[in-house]
Amino acid sequence: MNGYFDIDIWGLVAAVVMVLIAAGISALMKTGVATSLVWATARSLVQLLAMGFILQYVIRQDNVWLVIGLIALMLLAAVQITMGRATGAPKGLVGIVLLALVVTMLLMLAIVAELIVRPKPWYAPQLVVPLTGMLLGNTVSALALGLSRFFESMRERYAEVNTLLALGATKWEAAKPSMISSIRLGLLPSVAMLASSGIVTIPGMMSGQIIAGKSPVSAAKYQFVILAAVAALTLVADSIIIALIYKRCFISYDRYFVPEPAKQLSLKDLIRLRKDVHPDESAAELKRAAADDRRMSAR
Amino acid sequence: MDTAKDTGRHLFTARTVTAVMPRRGGGETTVFRGLSFDVDGGEVVDVTGPSGSGKSTLLTAFARLNVHTSGTFALDGRDSDTFTPQMWRSVVAYLPQTPTLIGDTVADAIRLPWTLKVRHSERAHEPKDLLTDAHIRATLDDMGCADIDLDRAPRDLSGGQAARVSLARTLLTKPRVLLADEVDAGLDEENADKVADLLKKAADNGTAVVRIRHRAPDGRATRMVVLKDGVLRDVPLPTAAQVAAAARDDDFGGDDVAAAASVDGADGADSALRKER
Repeated sequence: MNGYFDIDIWGLVAAVVMVLIAAGISALMKTGVATSLVWATARSLVQLLAMGFILQYVIRQDNVWLVIGLIALMLLAAVQITMGRATGAPKGLVGIVLLALVVTMLLMLAIVAELIVRPKPWYAPQLVVPLTGMLLGNTVSALALGLSRFFESMRERYAEVNTLLALGATKWEAAKPSMISSIRLGLLPSVAMLASSGIVTIPGMMSGQIIAGKSPVSAAKYQFVILAAVAALTLVADSIIIALIYKRCFISYDRYFVPEPAKQLSLKDLIRLRKDVHPDESAAELKRAAADDRRMSAR
Repeated sequence: MDTAKDTGRHLFTARTVTAVMPRRGGGETTVFRGLSFDVDGGEVVDVTGPSGSGKSTLLTAFARLNVHTSGTFALDGRDSDTFTPQMWRSVVAYLPQTPTLIGDTVADAIRLPWTLKVRHSERAHEPKDLLTDAHIRATLDDMGCADIDLDRAPRDLSGGQAARVSLARTLLTKPRVLLADEVDAGLDEENADKVADLLKKAADNGTAVVRIRHRAPDGRATRMVVLKDGVLRDVPLPTAAQVAAAARDDDFGGDDVAAAASVDGADGADSALRKER
């Protein structure tokens, strides 16, 4: 292939060795990320390989149901990763996260794919799948950051929220500073991505098009539309989520009550039996259930 | 005891007030159960009692801010459930012990309650210049806060100044019931006295004032109650001579008296009674 350089097996080995060296250094410095670094590397290699084959298969088959199925799978994975990364968020947010992702994804496909690019057939997998991937990749990190930040901020602002409520603030008014700080933090990566695109980051999609012989102008236009849409829709997703969850920090009669964070399951917990890891879990579970009951009956 | 007639007679009534706190590691602790309390406009009621007896919990229950409390509350005989939470808290105002001043300047912090939706309609009835710096200045001066610069950042205020600004912020919203949670804690005598004057003035203008106090009696209370072991009971007010004695002690060994009172306010009140006899 013209202008394309293949990586042989030694290339892969070299990459793995680099990660191992990095992991060794972090182990020596006791940063505690060594295991997760190695694990994430292995996971990424397997996922990329699998996605490569799946993508090739779906593009060849050119079947609308296969495309929809693949996107649905990506959505579910995105929800799982968001919930895993959103430390401090309470449980029971899966539905809301899924809703926000579906809405933004449909907007993305409707506007970018069907209004701007107009591929034939309309579900052209070579466009729709990577487009969804770019959007989800960006939204997932924004949502995880935004969710963690929101609940962290609501916990930190304990005195402020109670003072505001005591002065007659509504739930919305009392939660607003946390919402703003959460959305701002969630959007920073998108803004940084827009500002650095073309200088620091050369998007793979764009270089791919140029390698394939497209004119630089059309490649840049294409890339710009996608980056701008991703940034804008990330804000939409973040706003949907925050607008739907801020009420979780209050119970009946607009009283301030931040729910307990959901337990994060690490790989270790899954390998060992969870009971060994959390012997006091049943008590904590009971307490939370009691709090839920109170909340329900209070309504 | 809790008939409708009974609740109609007072400005603010609380019936069957119960606080059940979740204990760390599971289980629950009942702080108090089935308490009743009334207060009328113009009164200054001091609530004392040992630390952890639930005085703050009681006051936050009155403002319906506390998640772990329940009870029936009424203002002028009208049940709190018929108010929106925002309306209820703007008439039954809770003032936290630690002042939290929100905004870049003192003026902003004082204006904050008026930026809230609950007061949008109310503002039409208030003078137009209510929120101008000049009017806030005049009000603060009137409250004996001439030493507080409006353009200062709230975090630069001293403890006494912050306590007075926090009090002024709530007083300007003209609540019918003011629940002051130990707002004079950690203040020197002079500042504590200023705060007490502000509260007394509000009571003279018809507000019902409920104060949690750990300090020695300051002669401004019209009634005293003690919350201890889950029971709320009335105790006689200290006599003028006792107040004077407490003030005299404050001049010399005031810290000891205040410390003794803060360790166990109820016992302090009891010993005051014994002395009387």
